[in-house]
Amino acid sequence: MELYELNLWMLTEGLKAGKFSASEVFTSCKNRIDKCEGNIHALITRTDNEMPAFSKDGTLAGIPTIIKDNLCTKGLRTTAASKILGDWRPPYDATAWARLKDSGAVLMGKANMDEFAMGNTCGNSAFGPTHNPNDITRVPGGSSGGSAAAVSAGYVPFSLGSDTGGSIRQPASYCGVYGFKPTYGMVSRYGLISYGSSLDQIGPFARTIRDLQIVMSVISGHDKMDSSSFRNKPHDFTHNENASIKGKRIAVVKEFAGFTLDAPIADAMKRTLKILEDEGAIITEVSLPVVSKYAVACYYALAMSEAHTNLERYDGVRLGYTVKDARGIKEMFERVRSEGFGAEVKARIIAGTCLTEPTRCEEYYVAATKVRTLIAQEFSRAFGETDYILQPVTPSMPGKIGESDDDAMKGYEADLYTLPVNLAGLPGLSFFTGYAGNLPVGLQLIGARWSDSEILDAGMILERHFGSPKISDGGVN
Amino acid sequence: MAELTFTPVIGIEIHIRLKSDSKLFCSCSTDTDAPANTNICPVCMGMPGSLPVLNHRVVEQGMLAGFALNCGIRPKSLFFRKSYFYPDLPKGHQISQCDLPITTSGYIEVHDSEGKLKKIRVHHLHLEEDVGSLHHSASDGRLEGADTSYVDYNRSGTPLAEIVSEPDVSSAREAVEYVMTLRRRVIYSGASDVELEKGMMRFDANVSMKCSDGRWGHKVEVKNMNSFKALERAIEYEIKRQKKIMLQGGEVIQETRHWNDAKGITSSSRVKENYRKFIVEPDLPPLYISQEWIDRVAARMPEMPDVRASRYVTDWNLPQEVADLITDDRNLADYFESCVKAGANPVRAAHWVRTEVLRVMNEKGLKISDFTMKPETLAGLVERVDGGKLSTTQGKEVFDYMCANNSGIDEAVKALGITEGGVAGNALADIVASVIAANPDVLDEIKSGKDKKGKKLKFLQGLVMKETKGQAKPQEVAEAIAEAVK
Amino acid sequence: MKLTSEEVNEIALESRLLLTEEELAGAVRYINRFLDALQCFKELDLKDVEPFSFAEAIECPLREDKVIPFPDTEAILHESEHVDGSYFKVPRIMEE
Repeated sequence: MELYELNLWMLTEGLKAGKFSASEVFTSCKNRIDKCEGNIHALITRTDNEMPAFSKDGTLAGIPTIIKDNLCTKGLRTTAASKILGDWRPPYDATAWARLKDSGAVLMGKANMDEFAMGNTCGNSAFGPTHNPNDITRVPGGSSGGSAAAVSAGYVPFSLGSDTGGSIRQPASYCGVYGFKPTYGMVSRYGLISYGSSLDQIGPFARTIRDLQIVMSVISGHDKMDSSSFRNKPHDFTHNENASIKGKRIAVVKEFAGFTLDAPIADAMKRTLKILEDEGAIITEVSLPVVSKYAVACYYALAMSEAHTNLERYDGVRLGYTVKDARGIKEMFERVRSEGFGAEVKARIIAGTCLTEPTRCEEYYVAATKVRTLIAQEFSRAFGETDYILQPVTPSMPGKIGESDDDAMKGYEADLYTLPVNLAGLPGLSFFTGYAGNLPVGLQLIGARWSDSEILDAGMILERHFGSPKISDGGVN
Repeated sequence: MAELTFTPVIGIEIHIRLKSDSKLFCSCSTDTDAPANTNICPVCMGMPGSLPVLNHRVVEQGMLAGFALNCGIRPKSLFFRKSYFYPDLPKGHQISQCDLPITTSGYIEVHDSEGKLKKIRVHHLHLEEDVGSLHHSASDGRLEGADTSYVDYNRSGTPLAEIVSEPDVSSAREAVEYVMTLRRRVIYSGASDVELEKGMMRFDANVSMKCSDGRWGHKVEVKNMNSFKALERAIEYEIKRQKKIMLQGGEVIQETRHWNDAKGITSSSRVKENYRKFIVEPDLPPLYISQEWIDRVAARMPEMPDVRASRYVTDWNLPQEVADLITDDRNLADYFESCVKAGANPVRAAHWVRTEVLRVMNEKGLKISDFTMKPETLAGLVERVDGGKLSTTQGKEVFDYMCANNSGIDEAVKALGITEGGVAGNALADIVASVIAANPDVLDEIKSGKDKKGKKLKFLQGLVMKETKGQAKPQEVAEAIAEAVK
Repeated sequence: MKLTSEEVNEIALESRLLLTEEELAGAVRYINRFLDALQCFKELDLKDVEPFSFAEAIECPLREDKVIPFPDTEAILHESEHVDGSYFKVPRIMEE
């Protein structure tokens, strides 16, 4: 067995016991990246030229990692997969990355993504698409596709992504790894290039639940630089082998019953419910009428309204892509933004601007913020009736690269199972259930706010039954 | 046909820089005089991934300024994003409390055209961040005609209070009184120094005209006034302009006009102002202010200048104009009150402060905070003059000496060779004796009876007065000489 | 009511985006499809519903008013191609 194949907790134990060295781990991972990257293209920037110095006594001492390229890295190009950021080198580190670094993690590269995290295929990147390492003709999911693919292909034992409407959970499911979207406010967003600020949350990818717990214990907790980060909230992610879900209530959503699912996903739902029942959980049903009918519209209305203001700062004056020969400031702004942003981003900027125009603001933006209140209330009620909700991550298996639907809203509707979680600020776990042919099948477990560690405990029980995902062949066998 | 009359309807928006060491949402210094682009960081440069964190002191400054305008404090306020593209605005939107501000409504009192007090209602005060500053390459430093501009982001993110009045102002004079009174009260509250020359107070005015025939012209927003004078002139110009249009039967168009101070005119702004509904700032949770916090800050509110002036008039019999003059500057009034506390008669102390203290401050270009003479010292001087130990002239000499040499009273008195209470009795007799001794021939002439007209006596009196440095009473000098030459 | 391509173009310009004809046509389709999807809000009675601000009560945290200079302002200036001396130089602001 090669070192790159080891999970995070195995690596930390082996390193501590002196079974192998950090530089051997580094070299093994680097070789794996060398071998697969040509097929997968998970990275925008590689930083694995040579082993950097790292903090020797931290939890993650010597552990290679990859982070999504919308997390700021001091002095290192950060692009959010957009041409408009040019070769921007931030003068500061994102808090989540700073915490990894302080605990000894070694950065191997910055992962590809959909531009400004807008997309669910990782095909909407100024740097070209990432391929699914289980089947390189297929999409890895998005927007954190590069982060998911990198863990799946064995580049690194864990990575960071961000999730605004499913951007961690969906690619985790498509690539066959675990992906966790923490409660909003659990992980500092400082240094995360914003898409929809009230929806964005950073979270980890790994190949075991235990690994997710280790990473969460490092990156979670209050940060005074992020005013939306909560103080004094539970964030103990100690791994507990004896965790049980006996007597816990697990619900499926009544309104989702009629929606079509690809066969392997429907099958996985059945098998998972059976396992949970066998483990002593009480299977129940909750009703989420507003969520099922209005969440998609609500989500996109809010995400775009916030996004267009988050993207107003890209004007070419202070950083990133620019033009030098404009005759006036308006021309400069127009050229920089028209040349710098990709098509999907432009469409969402225009949509966001449109929704917040004074004549339409009440009808769309304000209405959406009210619908969001109803959605949050509905979940709050539901979590009085159940401890967890089990649901798909996506209704369908990963599609082929380049297959595109002319109707963007259809693509958005595929996010129905993930985005309500962001609207209510809930934690959600995308977990692995097995393979259908060569493609992995994932499902999702969500819980009330701050139930993060309970969700991961439940995920661990499921992992025991389904087994941990294998490292994918990365297109090279 | 009755002649048409016009009533101006004016609302005023004021931006005031609130006093703080660090910026509104980041820890950069608010020193805008620092070398260009040195007080900047990822937050005030609007860098991707950066997030705002609210300054505690600025919230309190906002509350204090609100109290100064008789506003209430809202238990919950919110921040919004106000979008527009401009190179001095790094994020492309300004974080502002525009839609749910920290204060409720208030008012400021001014005198109307008949001299009666009237209330100008303040709609609200809200907190927001300032933008960077622009320097233009045109030869006159103005925006028009500049091919390039230079941006300094030191000011970006410094804290502002925007104060929006109701359209209760009826003339340029009222407008000026409103902003002057408001400024004085805000300075008193400690929320801001409002140094005008540093651009810490900027004005916009909404001007429309109501005609006696029932017509009401559209509202015109006049921007770019940075001084009281500019505000007054701009409003006067705009009133005249709109009146003329309406008299000719034309229609005033709703627009934004810029005040050109050099030309003394307003001109239509060619840049289209895009109004955008504001979205809630998702990076800042609501600002909650407890009653306990409000009470704590309210307890720090000093007496307002008009109240203070009334107290001087009522309790201390100061003339209203003297009371107004002294209370204009909170520190000067504090100085004056310290004098009174140290025992000085209020009317006398007020006189000294108004004439001597202000004179020296003006001559030397000092602020009262830089004035080194302690109020207790001035009180002592006032007492000595009032008690007759020093003449008024001597008192002024002592005052000047103390200012120039930073000395105490006794030191000044000694250095100036002053004998307190004047030269009399034995001291006077001694001087007379020595003067006579030095002029034996004059004494002879007097004694011989040749000094019929008393010229020689006068001569001796003059010498004695000179020796006493004018500190003896002429009558006593004459008597002492008469005694000595007997 | 459908937005016309003139209206969409106006919105794009407001966002400082110049669209090609093809992009504009796409944007018009996109926006109108999107606005259609949002019509569903009208089915809900939102009159007495509070707009959402945060998932649970959280107070705006406050920072002490203390100056902490950013250690590397040079690195900030270094990222711009418009820096001239210690200023950011930008082209003509007034429109002709």
